[in-house]
Amino acid sequence: MATPNAHYGFAERWLPRLVLAPSFFLTLVFLYGFIAWNGYLSFTESRLLPNYEWAGLVQYQALFENERWWVAVRNLGIFAVLFIGGAMAIGITLAILLDQKVRGEGAIRTIYLYPMALSFVVTGTAWKWMLNPGLGLEKLMHDWGFTSFTFDWLVNSDMSIYTVVIAGLWQSSGFVMALFLAGLRGVDDSIIKAAQIDGASLPRIYWKIILPALRPVVFSTLMILSHIAIKSFDLVMALTGGGPGFSSDLPATFMYSMAFTRGQTGLGAASAMMMLATVAAIVVPYLYSELRKDQHG
Amino acid sequence: MGALAIKNVTKSFGDTHILKGINIDIEAGEFLILVGPSGCGKSTLMNIIAGLESPTSGEVCIADRIVNEVAPKDRDIAMVFQSYALYPTMNVRQNIAFGMETRGVPKAEQNEVIARVAKMLQIDHLLDRKPSALSGGQRQRVAMGRALARNPKLFLFDEPLSNLDAKLRVEMRVEIKQLHQRLKTTIVYVTHDQIEAMTLGDKIAVMKDGVIQQFGSPEDIYERPANLFVAGFIGSPSMNFLPCHLVEQNGQVGVTLQGVEAPKFIALQDRAGLKERVGQKVILGVRPEQWDVENTPDALVCKVKITEPTGPDTMIYSEVNGVEMIARVHPRAASGPGTTLPLVLDVKKAVLFDPETELRIA
Repeated sequence: MATPNAHYGFAERWLPRLVLAPSFFLTLVFLYGFIAWNGYLSFTESRLLPNYEWAGLVQYQALFENERWWVAVRNLGIFAVLFIGGAMAIGITLAILLDQKVRGEGAIRTIYLYPMALSFVVTGTAWKWMLNPGLGLEKLMHDWGFTSFTFDWLVNSDMSIYTVVIAGLWQSSGFVMALFLAGLRGVDDSIIKAAQIDGASLPRIYWKIILPALRPVVFSTLMILSHIAIKSFDLVMALTGGGPGFSSDLPATFMYSMAFTRGQTGLGAASAMMMLATVAAIVVPYLYSELRKDQHG
Repeated sequence: MGALAIKNVTKSFGDTHILKGINIDIEAGEFLILVGPSGCGKSTLMNIIAGLESPTSGEVCIADRIVNEVAPKDRDIAMVFQSYALYPTMNVRQNIAFGMETRGVPKAEQNEVIARVAKMLQIDHLLDRKPSALSGGQRQRVAMGRALARNPKLFLFDEPLSNLDAKLRVEMRVEIKQLHQRLKTTIVYVTHDQIEAMTLGDKIAVMKDGVIQQFGSPEDIYERPANLFVAGFIGSPSMNFLPCHLVEQNGQVGVTLQGVEAPKFIALQDRAGLKERVGQKVILGVRPEQWDVENTPDALVCKVKITEPTGPDTMIYSEVNGVEMIARVHPRAASGPGTTLPLVLDVKKAVLFDPETELRIA
């Protein structure tokens, strides 16, 4: 398109680029540049300080022989499955119940959504106090006279990861509910009426007709929850600190302690690359299918 | 045998009374239209018949059985919705089969029914498509197919044609009528469109503010409307309401109408109860097509303000007794704006209303 004013044309062409340049540059350096740097470090023998001598796959070998890493991976498996599955199940159930034209829906919705407003650090700290056997739930029950009551998951190295699951569920279920409630509101009321006349029970209507129609919501929720699970760091740090011992370590806390407190930068970098690979394995196929749909849509 | 009987049904939410004592009775095979402006309670009444809402008081009987406490699925009904309400993730075949699956109909019989219904509605070639890949008219057919698959005692249509474009609406209207003539099932059909009501119905219930204003055959409703509302709602363009006084001249009771010339006396023959009302105000209801252009001494000369040619007829807008009046005349008889036109009234078909009660007098 020819512009009568050459000066204006120049501004029109360059202004957007000029405005976008700083954030583009910052992203390039601080995101992709540092990913690349971290990738390189994972192939060196860096300890406390970076060392740029190529060392091949030694760090990855060390990582895969590290018992603590495998505990972290196993914990991530438990946490991810229970956290994602649990948050979806609770969130969908709450959304469906709330969709039955409940009185005071606005207030209830806010209450359920409120935990999302807290940071994971606050959630973790609050639950640490509640689950602390000498301070929280167990003490309360003892004070009430139920002296045989024990709930020591927080300090039990076999169960500590499940406390992380509980706190995570408390924080995220309301958010899942909000996403699904929005989806449910988009479903035409007469579809439910039609299914009722067709003789379907309410659970069958939701299971066979409405949830399949909410597939996009299910997918986005899965994506959001999975990356929360994989990145989970602050919740564990605040709640258990990875303990007792390293029984509730997740890859993120493993990476942190290797890279920043134990002077194993190379090993930390290798574990960070493994996490990146995991996230990529989930996100890339999703992005691919979404973008392809856009092109064909 | 009564196919559907509604006895004194009311519906209230607190102090809001949606339905105020509805009574309807139709025979098997009849096509009942519930028509009225939005908010008149027709959709609520439909939901009550379907069992999706329960009445505050009163009885609903389907095929001589009280169904107040019967769940929608056990009422032996099928419903077609305005938004079609197709199950979005299922293809056409699954949409039609869903109800049968739920009722545990054997697979072989399901396929048979689907084939029969698909053939009847000419949707055979669409069976494997998702609703999102269908046009509005095709979705409408699928929705009807889903209802037909049930082979119910009672069909409920909730404004089924409102989402279609004008041409398709006329086509589907004819198809619904054909379907009814072929299947001879009882149909309850909700609409706000008076043309659908007139063309489809065996019986029409005109509703307003939760009350049935008139319940009768289309001819009844059109020619003998019970009150001003029904008279104005049914028919397009609307009936003209001309305010006049009843007067007596030469032993005949009639009204005077004034166009551009001196007032003309028009005798209303053979109507009971008019003598007593002489001197009172009345409203003369005249449908646009009850006027004819005829150059006789009795003709009422009117000034043409606007003409609206529709093709087969031309609408003439003029003024009679101080209010706007529309006459539907033959295009060749019409003349342009600013001219005068002699109009003759078909007195036998004109109706009279009481301006106070708004009810028809004669």
